[in-house]
Amino acid sequence: MDFSDLLIQTLINGILIGGLYGVMTLGFSVIWGVMGVINLAHGEFLMLGAYMAWVLNKQQGWEPFLTLLVILPVMFLLGYVIQIVLINRIIEKPHLIALLVTYGLAIVMASTVKLIYTANPRITTTQFSGYWEFDFGGFVLPVTKTLVLIAALLMMFGLYFFLNRTRFGKSIRAAAQNKEAARMVGIEINKVYAATFGICIALTGAAGMLLSPLGSIHPFMGAAWTLKAFAITAMAGLGNIPGALLGGMMLGLVENLLATFVPTVGSSVGIISSFALLVIVLVTRPQGLFGGLKAPQEIR
Amino acid sequence: MNNGNILLDVQDLYAGYQKLDILKGVNLQVNTGEIVCVIGPNGAGKSTVFKAVYGFIDIRKGRALFDGSDVTDYRPQDMLRAGVSIVPQLRSVFPQMTVEENLEMGMYLEKENKQVRKRIDEIFDLFPRLAERKKQKAGTMSGGEQRMLEIGRALMYRPKLLLMDEPSAGLAPLITKMIFEQIENLNRELGLTVLMIEQNARQGLEISDQGYVLQLGKNSFMGPSKDLLDNPEVRSAFLGG
Repeated sequence: MDFSDLLIQTLINGILIGGLYGVMTLGFSVIWGVMGVINLAHGEFLMLGAYMAWVLNKQQGWEPFLTLLVILPVMFLLGYVIQIVLINRIIEKPHLIALLVTYGLAIVMASTVKLIYTANPRITTTQFSGYWEFDFGGFVLPVTKTLVLIAALLMMFGLYFFLNRTRFGKSIRAAAQNKEAARMVGIEINKVYAATFGICIALTGAAGMLLSPLGSIHPFMGAAWTLKAFAITAMAGLGNIPGALLGGMMLGLVENLLATFVPTVGSSVGIISSFALLVIVLVTRPQGLFGGLKAPQEIR
Repeated sequence: MNNGNILLDVQDLYAGYQKLDILKGVNLQVNTGEIVCVIGPNGAGKSTVFKAVYGFIDIRKGRALFDGSDVTDYRPQDMLRAGVSIVPQLRSVFPQMTVEENLEMGMYLEKENKQVRKRIDEIFDLFPRLAERKKQKAGTMSGGEQRMLEIGRALMYRPKLLLMDEPSAGLAPLITKMIFEQIENLNRELGLTVLMIEQNARQGLEISDQGYVLQLGKNSFMGPSKDLLDNPEVRSAFLGG
């Protein structure tokens, strides 16, 4: 394989993983955009989804991709309940409180999972493995990663359709843009927030399933993923779905390029590149690359 | 216009924020078909009356009756269902949504999509300017157009009573005049009852049937608007002599 082949294959891999990054970011970005809460337990919800996939896969023999049928509704319920009993109570309080509460939630979740399943790294096994090879140029498409990208794109499109084409989805955007006005037209903010949190957590859990056959799952994987979500949100802008996809792909490309061409950086390359991207974006374009961190409700 | 049919009856209203009572016994009556205007200095509690009646803040004492029912403990969605809409003082459009989507949100409580489409068309007939801009993002329109959209959105659910908090706030005099004409039209042609707060006291009293002056959380004057316009005390305090 010469250099240009290697480059193209690296780009393909970067784009494939970028879809996962994109869908993984949505939950974090939409919760922030709609209710102004920075969910520091984001990565832990991802971890929880990944463990659900692993348990169903290893103990019940399910195909990991099929576990989405369980993960989506269960994580939705979990998110809905957490919003009602916890987040709704603190949402009007200073931001620091929400940070502390979600950080505490993260620790509780990670420690509980460690108690039950130990800290051993895990991975799910899918029957959709191997490579699709192309006649031209000898490039290959890893089957699992391709399915992950397809599933990620479907979920992103689903959320986009829901927010822009359904009455309830529009009410979520309305609540994000002007909370008082949303109340005036009869939108019940607490219910909208609970549904939003539920949907975001469901997507985040699903993203956890998507990464379960690709990398190792462990109880303390969350923080790195929260940071990635933060970096991509900074590039994409709050609640910006196409932006999250682009930002996810950018991070996927940067990571894969670094891993291929600067191999000495080793296994920690992912976290280094997302942090570097975050710093570069915040320093050079604090408004973000496509729309930025300005909250939708501040745009008048 | 007074046919003696009381639509909204606010009795001895107490409400406020935290430990402070802003309203200390406000009384208001709005008859069906009237335009009623509330004036008074800043901090008199005018907006607080609306917030309490509409269920944004709790009523601590006293009660509110609308169309014969006790609405004291109603939340905003209950008020809408009962037939009351509100246009607040501050900009309240959904800025990133189109004009059409904003109107759709005005009928959020209606399940039947066909009803919503039909009603949007009716509002477009009422405000042709909005029809021209239906695909435009509301936040990119002029202040007057946004106010028109706010009124249109408030009318979506076919209210019997429209509460308007300073319809002229932040608008140029010419636009204010247009909005006031619009309010008079809605009152005359649709029989819409309007309770409004107006900083622009003279203009507000001129288009209204009844007027109330609020001071320090209490009524200080009330009566037919034309009497208030002639009242020397009201004139010197609120109408610039």
